[in-house]
Amino acid sequence: MSQQANRSTLFTPFNVIAGLIVIMGLILTVIRFTKGLDATTNLSDYNPWGLWIGFDLLVGVALAAGGYVTSAAVYIFGMKRYHSAVRPAILTAFLGYALVVFALNYDVGRPWRLPYPFFVSQGTTSLLFEVGACVALYLSVLFIEFSPAAMEWLGLKKARNLVVKLTMVLTILGVILSTLHQSSLGALFLIAPSKLHPLWYSSYLPIFFFVTSTIAGLSMVIFESTLSHHFLHDKMDEAHLAGNKGLALGFGKAAAWVLAGYFVIKTIGVAADNNWHYLGTGYGAWFLVEMLGFVALPAFMYAVGVRDRNIKIIRWTAAWTVLGIVVNRFNISMVAFNYHLPSSERYFPHWMEIGISVFIVTVGILVFRFICTRMPILYEHPDYESH
Amino acid sequence: MQGIGKMGIKKIYPFGMGILLCGVFVLAAVWTAAAAVPPAEALALGRADLIVIDGLKSFGPLERPPVPFYHDKHTDAMVKQNKDCSACHETVKDKLSRKFKRVQDNSKTAVMDVYHDQCIGCHKERKSANKAGGPVTCGECHIKDAMLRSTWQAITLDKSLHYRHVKANEKKCETCHHEFNPQTKALYYTKGDEGACLYCHKKKTEENRISNRLASHQACIACHRQLAAKDKDAGPAQCSGCHDPRQQALLEKIADPPRMERNQPDAVLVKTGLKGGNPEPVTNRMRPVPFDHRAHEGYNNSCRQCHHADLKSCATCHTVQGDEEGRQVKLAQAMHQNDARNSCVGCHKQQQAEPACAGCHSSIVKGRSLTSEAACKTCHMNIPVENPYPDESSAESKSMAADLLAARKPVVETVPVDQIPETVTIQSLTHDYEAVALPHRKIVLKLAAGVKDNRLAAYFHDAPTTLCQGCHHNSPATVKPPQCGSCHGRSSEALNLTRPGLMAAYHQQCIQCHDKMGLEKPVSRECTTCHAKRK
Amino acid sequence: MSISRRKFLGWMGAASLTSAVGTSARAASNHEFKGYEDSMAVLHDITRCIGCRKCEGACNTVNDLPKPEKPFDDLTVLEEKRRTTAKAYTVVNQFGGQAPTFVKKQCNHCQEPACASACFVKAFTKTPEGAVVYNEKVCVGCRYCMIACPFEIPAYEYDEPFTPRIMKCTMCYPRITKGLLPGCVEACPTEALVFGKRQALLKVARQRIADYPDRYVDHIYGEKEMGGTNWLYLTSKPYGEVGMREDLGNTPAPKLTKGALGAVPMVVGLWPVLLTGIYAINKRKEKIAAEEQHAAVDEAVAQTNAEAEAKLAAAMEKAAQNQEAAVAREVKKALEEAAKAAAEAEAAKDEKGSDAPDGTSEDA
Repeated sequence: MSQQANRSTLFTPFNVIAGLIVIMGLILTVIRFTKGLDATTNLSDYNPWGLWIGFDLLVGVALAAGGYVTSAAVYIFGMKRYHSAVRPAILTAFLGYALVVFALNYDVGRPWRLPYPFFVSQGTTSLLFEVGACVALYLSVLFIEFSPAAMEWLGLKKARNLVVKLTMVLTILGVILSTLHQSSLGALFLIAPSKLHPLWYSSYLPIFFFVTSTIAGLSMVIFESTLSHHFLHDKMDEAHLAGNKGLALGFGKAAAWVLAGYFVIKTIGVAADNNWHYLGTGYGAWFLVEMLGFVALPAFMYAVGVRDRNIKIIRWTAAWTVLGIVVNRFNISMVAFNYHLPSSERYFPHWMEIGISVFIVTVGILVFRFICTRMPILYEHPDYESH
Repeated sequence: MQGIGKMGIKKIYPFGMGILLCGVFVLAAVWTAAAAVPPAEALALGRADLIVIDGLKSFGPLERPPVPFYHDKHTDAMVKQNKDCSACHETVKDKLSRKFKRVQDNSKTAVMDVYHDQCIGCHKERKSANKAGGPVTCGECHIKDAMLRSTWQAITLDKSLHYRHVKANEKKCETCHHEFNPQTKALYYTKGDEGACLYCHKKKTEENRISNRLASHQACIACHRQLAAKDKDAGPAQCSGCHDPRQQALLEKIADPPRMERNQPDAVLVKTGLKGGNPEPVTNRMRPVPFDHRAHEGYNNSCRQCHHADLKSCATCHTVQGDEEGRQVKLAQAMHQNDARNSCVGCHKQQQAEPACAGCHSSIVKGRSLTSEAACKTCHMNIPVENPYPDESSAESKSMAADLLAARKPVVETVPVDQIPETVTIQSLTHDYEAVALPHRKIVLKLAAGVKDNRLAAYFHDAPTTLCQGCHHNSPATVKPPQCGSCHGRSSEALNLTRPGLMAAYHQQCIQCHDKMGLEKPVSRECTTCHAKRK
Repeated sequence: MSISRRKFLGWMGAASLTSAVGTSARAASNHEFKGYEDSMAVLHDITRCIGCRKCEGACNTVNDLPKPEKPFDDLTVLEEKRRTTAKAYTVVNQFGGQAPTFVKKQCNHCQEPACASACFVKAFTKTPEGAVVYNEKVCVGCRYCMIACPFEIPAYEYDEPFTPRIMKCTMCYPRITKGLLPGCVEACPTEALVFGKRQALLKVARQRIADYPDRYVDHIYGEKEMGGTNWLYLTSKPYGEVGMREDLGNTPAPKLTKGALGAVPMVVGLWPVLLTGIYAINKRKEKIAAEEQHAAVDEAVAQTNAEAEAKLAAAMEKAAQNQEAAVAREVKKALEEAAKAAAEAEAAKDEKGSDAPDGTSEDA
């Protein structure tokens, strides 16, 4: 009787699909590393960066920004009421960055040489060096920030208490490193003004990327908490369940403000370069869709949700904003990039690229679930005082 | 929580602001889009009769875009309605005013009203009569960013056309030619003082002097209309008749019109404005240049190609030291300016672009024509005469010119054929290809044939070996020129990057010459045409 | 966690030290790189190119590249526009039909190369000889150089799973350091390519324009574009018509990222101050709030106590009063009872008075 029950709990629809995706991903991985990039991607000499950079790297790093946003809110700005959101946010961030590094191994030509920029030959004139250094450091910071949860699970009391003492320093370091690499990801495109459409290219790109990362972080925390609330409800303790509404309202309010501010500085960007006439073109229409539909609209919907204390609106807006971040990063890396080339030379991802990306996201979800169901992320371990 | 009314207003606020902002954005986008997209009225084929009506410019900056107007369209329409020019143009003192339905521009509103009432009025009339009319709304006439293409081309009264008019007017030059007396403010005619219209009538109307456009239209079209009214053979009265390039090509061309009778000299010394005779020391001056005026009349389509501002001699304005009247262009510059069609050297230089000449001449650098002594001497002939600097208006001067011209001998001989190697084998660079068997004599004779009848070439190629220097350049003219490899090494020199290596020297020389002379064969990329491939 | 003076000073020191270390950024300086003095370059005179593709063939041979499908003397490939690929460092393209113009395309060996600036493992070096060379021994394969290059030159060996390299023209660096000419330059039959010192070639180009003003457009491409390149061009047709971008500007690529890079040490220096400041201000606010609360509580307690005490005192007094009154009442009552009893006793005595057996006489 119990065996049957076990099988049914293991082969849930989600598990089956996830399992199939993982199997597909493993096969694609083998193909990628035996046949090379030509066989598994639609990358070309005109389009060296595709979905793996546009999505896995740019979107991944942006959506993992919830870590620094939440820990800054709680520890630096002293908003203790969001305390229960810190661990899930740190976990999302840590897994996000870990998966970014994981995905990077698929994209670069010689992944075993990834340590080279640090130990063999430092190209310090490059913003990619800056991104790499900060991401590597920040991943370590996130790992340390996450480790207390694991240590609590493993019963390593002394170590855990020691690490917890480092929270303040780690948080500050985290914000510094996040500012640097989030903006540097935008700065990567500064070197190619002739290839990026004028409506998206700006010398303010680093600032735009940093601000949108904050928006992404805020929205992602709400989004993730919505999903956890739904699927991992039984793993949440009183504090988590109670704090959920306040989290949505507080972060939603912040997101409304930041989105509005971002809209303003984007408008200033268009005005500063006198690019108004581009708005009447096809690309201009798409730019307006991004600005009005994915920046202005969520700003208002967040405001409405907070105003009316309507958590449902806030949650849907959070999901919509996450999509907006995806749209923005896709636009800069693939849609508005190489806008000057004829359509025969433009890029669309190979199904294998999409497959690997889906695989990586699935792995992330599975690991997240594994950790949340075992370690004190969504609840507080009874043995340890409330931090 | 609060009262519904309060909540209602507070709910509207963000929504309202949002809609307002979105609206502003969309408006901006549409506005700029409208500006960016070119209007549908762009004309693919150009027309010669395009006039852009912007008469209100004299009253200040235009409020609306100027209106493109096709004159011939309207004259055709008038003809169909059995109307003539007076339908739109008033007659003043027997002359047709070129202004539309008015004689002068009184005020901005008055002029604007004339156009609006008359144009739109007529168009509306036509429309109500169910006939093809013109635009009636503002934007249809005042087209923003209209991409107009005018094929209007100026018409020159060249020798042929001038002769046709001379014949038609039975040599009565006073029909068209006149001068203006500023004291009596009257036009008068003096025989022998005729000149081109453009000498006086400039681009813009000045005091007592209408613009060339006005003058030519008043004079030419009035006369043509008169003749047409009398059912006689007349010239065109429509824009395209004179100004459309296709129509211009259809004009009858008299092959060899008789010489214009204006007392011009046959042979003359080019005047310098300097004193001749004894009073002033005359040493160290360039010898006067004999000029075959008659021959040059034949080389040019109209007098204005040289006499660009007046029929007087050049030195009248272009003095040796430079003068205000000549716009400070000194005599030497006027005669020798390389790129000016009006100057002697400039015109001769242009002849060098002919296919028969360009093979050699295109690779001679711009400044070189003035550096060889031989070139100077062709014109400034250094022949011993008693008085090398006669008084310029004297008979002595004229006879000296004729004598000098007779003494100048064209060189038409080539190097004796037996002295021209028949085939030259170029085997200095055989690596990927075999040696080249150059048909040397054939090439030389072909080049010589090309310039045989060209008097300019015959005078300036002052030795039979000059032609050789087209290829055998940068070395003395001789029957046995040095080998190319004497100067051109394996590759271009680091110290002298303007001198190509031997292979490039051959290829550049041959290929560029073939190119400029318009030869279709040999094809430059079919390497084996000139040299077989090495196995 | 309050912040001690020592800690604060320590952090300030660290911040200023970090800022001081960031000297190489020079974000706002006028520093300009005018190029290596004696660097070599190639001048490509488009008017001399006949489109024979001998340069492509020579490049292929000299660099040991795989032979292409269509041989180099097949001129039909010119009907389509091509770009550099992993197997072809250079291509010749044809423009115009009737009297076509041919242009050779390859790495322009910029003075301040975008690829070198972008590479995070310093795989590109701008050599003093002028060539921009690639080091495949450190390349990670991130392909950022391909994003950065404004001329869209670097190609990648996507079909190599284990040793993919960036492929681009090397200006035949091994040959030019030995005093030989680059392969393409040597092969060109019309010397549409000339190799020499960049300074000298600029002079030659200017001389050619002056000598044949009708032949050339008065602009040397590569003199200033992207900060100057070591591959210069002369043309008879406008550059835009022969596939060369005229909108790239004269700003060298590294300058485009100078600002962003310069901001890094600033952030590292200022953010600790800013964040610690916010934290400290917050903490202080909390402390003051706590103190105020504490004080308020104390005051409330004290007040309550005082009130209680007063009440007690009042009650005590009242009680005392009551007691006194009660005592007085009882005394009065007792006295009254005593008086009453005495009166009764008197009365009883009077009744009994005559026989006073007990000897209770009046004398007693």
